[in-house]
Amino acid sequence: MTAYTYRHKHLLGIEGLHRVDIEDLLDLADTYANTQEPEQVLRGKTLINLFFENSTRTQSSFEIAGKRLGADVVNMSVQSSSVKKGETLVDTAMTLNAMAPDLLVIRHGSSGAVRLLSRKVDCAVINAGDGTHEHPTQALLDALTLRRRLGSLEGLRVAICGDILHSRVARSNTMLLHQLGAIVHLCAPPTLLPPDTHTWGAHATFTNMEQALKDCDVVMMLRLQNERMDGLYLPSQREFFQLYGLDAARLKHAKPDALIMHPGPMNRGVEIDGSLTETERSLITEQVANGVFVRMAVLARLAENGVTA
Amino acid sequence: MSELIFTNTRIIDPASGRDHIGSLKVTDGVIADVSETPSPADAVGVGKEVIDCDGLILSPGLVDLRVKTGEPGHEHRETLASASRAAVAGGITTMMVMPDTVPVIDTPALVDFISRAGQTNEVCNNVIPCGALSIGLGGERMSEIGLMKAAGARAFSHGEKPVASANLLRRAMQYAAGMDAPLFLRADEPSLAGGVMNAGGFAARLGLKGMPVQAEWVGLARDLLLAEMTKVRLIVDQVSTGRSFDLIAQSVANGAQVSTTASAHALFFNELDVGDGSHDPDKAYLTYCKVNPPFRSEEDRLALIGKLRDGSLNAVVSAHDPQPPENKRLPFEDASFGAAGLETLLACLTTLVADPFYQLSMLDALKVVTVGPADCLGLKTGRLQEGFSADLALIDPDKPWKCKRENLRSLSKNSPFDGRLLTGRVEKTFVNGQMVFNRAQEVNHA
Repeated sequence: MTAYTYRHKHLLGIEGLHRVDIEDLLDLADTYANTQEPEQVLRGKTLINLFFENSTRTQSSFEIAGKRLGADVVNMSVQSSSVKKGETLVDTAMTLNAMAPDLLVIRHGSSGAVRLLSRKVDCAVINAGDGTHEHPTQALLDALTLRRRLGSLEGLRVAICGDILHSRVARSNTMLLHQLGAIVHLCAPPTLLPPDTHTWGAHATFTNMEQALKDCDVVMMLRLQNERMDGLYLPSQREFFQLYGLDAARLKHAKPDALIMHPGPMNRGVEIDGSLTETERSLITEQVANGVFVRMAVLARLAENGVTA
Repeated sequence: MSELIFTNTRIIDPASGRDHIGSLKVTDGVIADVSETPSPADAVGVGKEVIDCDGLILSPGLVDLRVKTGEPGHEHRETLASASRAAVAGGITTMMVMPDTVPVIDTPALVDFISRAGQTNEVCNNVIPCGALSIGLGGERMSEIGLMKAAGARAFSHGEKPVASANLLRRAMQYAAGMDAPLFLRADEPSLAGGVMNAGGFAARLGLKGMPVQAEWVGLARDLLLAEMTKVRLIVDQVSTGRSFDLIAQSVANGAQVSTTASAHALFFNELDVGDGSHDPDKAYLTYCKVNPPFRSEEDRLALIGKLRDGSLNAVVSAHDPQPPENKRLPFEDASFGAAGLETLLACLTTLVADPFYQLSMLDALKVVTVGPADCLGLKTGRLQEGFSADLALIDPDKPWKCKRENLRSLSKNSPFDGRLLTGRVEKTFVNGQMVFNRAQEVNHA
């Protein structure tokens, strides 16, 4: 038994977590990955999935995680409309709060929105992605995937490539990988590379893929977020794929046995050559599988904290 | 004849450089005498009201060049009357109100409406309309600058946005110069500024779109070059970076007539005040800190204070922009810009004076809220001088207090100063020799 367990009320981001918090969650997730029939620690508890942005995999991953631990899961999709859904956001939170759920999983298109909601409710809140800010469970599942495949992340070289500017996955992953001792390279077209990424924990930034991939153990590709582009960041998808897409030839610049990751959903032929995803070196389906275990661990810990608090 | 005498007071008059203990006499609402005698022998007698100030500062009432109310159109945010009550509680006795209301103040009749509403206001009758430079602030057709000026508009602004068409701006400047009407313009290039906070590493980490300082410089450079060309009197609305002053100095050297303003909150906060929750989990994405121009880097904040100290900053404004909770209790990127500022304009400055780090004198601090802004518009106010209206603020420069949003008199409570400890505040305010605010008579003295 580890002496320390995760003690925060919410999981709003990787920022603010300590290495022990992260390792506790990963250890528990690892246990769930090796358990056929987990203890029903969420029996009698209500989990609400509140998604203001469309999501297939994250929402179902949380739903399955909750159900495996015995929770009653309610899915709410609040479809985005052209009207500002401002006051309805806080109103929705108040309404849900009145129904007294134990766990609230929220995805929202605006950075900071999940934190805003967490201040308005009494239950534990899990950030399932807020705008271009953070997506902590994705970072945790990526770390779990690497840990289960490679043992340790210490000294591992990871290149995160693509649309860094608009990626909440890149922010959360850079912070988490850095905390676990990995060396993080960020690579993006000049317009999609944000400033001061050393404050996230990145070790180097690149605008050239070949240089970024050099000596890397892992290549993590990001989805190109055309919906956030306003047509000003890139000349064309064709140019992006030619210069920044991952194909077999480009992958040769990384270490010979380098692994490939992608948080999904993938744009095949935009940021990644589809054929690469079906090789031994792709961790993409393992990422999805581990997502459930990580979310089970997060839900279990936050539910425990709710009892003691 | 009524006489009012302030005794034992620290007279500060930035226009003349006075800072001494003395007394001030008001006759029929007009300043009659400013003296170095703390308790003049004639300060007794029938019909004379004597206020012993016990060493507190007597300053000209503050002149605030940038106040937004919700009148007409959004009276639930702020009315001219509610803004006046907040203003005098902050020592402000003259305020210029912005034209971006509903409807936009773009005709002589609407200018007249604002003037009359001010004149009949029992609290503070010095409400100065600022006219819209283009019809409906649409940026397409010049408004009736001459007629609005005749109706009482003392400056012309384009609201929060710059005039998009350089050609319209050039013609409007040319025309306004001929009418001797100053323009009060935001320096901005909107296509560059499409963000929600200062651009940089902090915005990137928060996942928020940034507004780069270059947007201000690009917009400012255009406005300055056209001001040189047209000889218009240009008042730059809320300079937010140190380098902007270099651009301005260059244009002034070429003959442009430019004066500068900065918002009080830009002297007090920097971009980090938006908050990432690292010190206090609840202090993150604070929408009360969402203003335009945004809180900049600490370097720029200190540069602005340096420009105040060296005299190149002419006026500090409250940039009062009342916003109701439904516009602020939103995710950061969806929230409205704007901060309530009338009651913290003076306290912000006195708090800076109280901190020896900034090396600001009270004379410097009061200059930019009295004679400085008055001179930008050529107003006959902002001075402790015989013959001027007795618009006065009695200030306790050492009073420590905590700004609490619920105590603000503004109808909207969106103050970034909420919860902050401040030093110095107004105790009494006078307009035309009439006491319009007395903190001792307020509930809880707040």
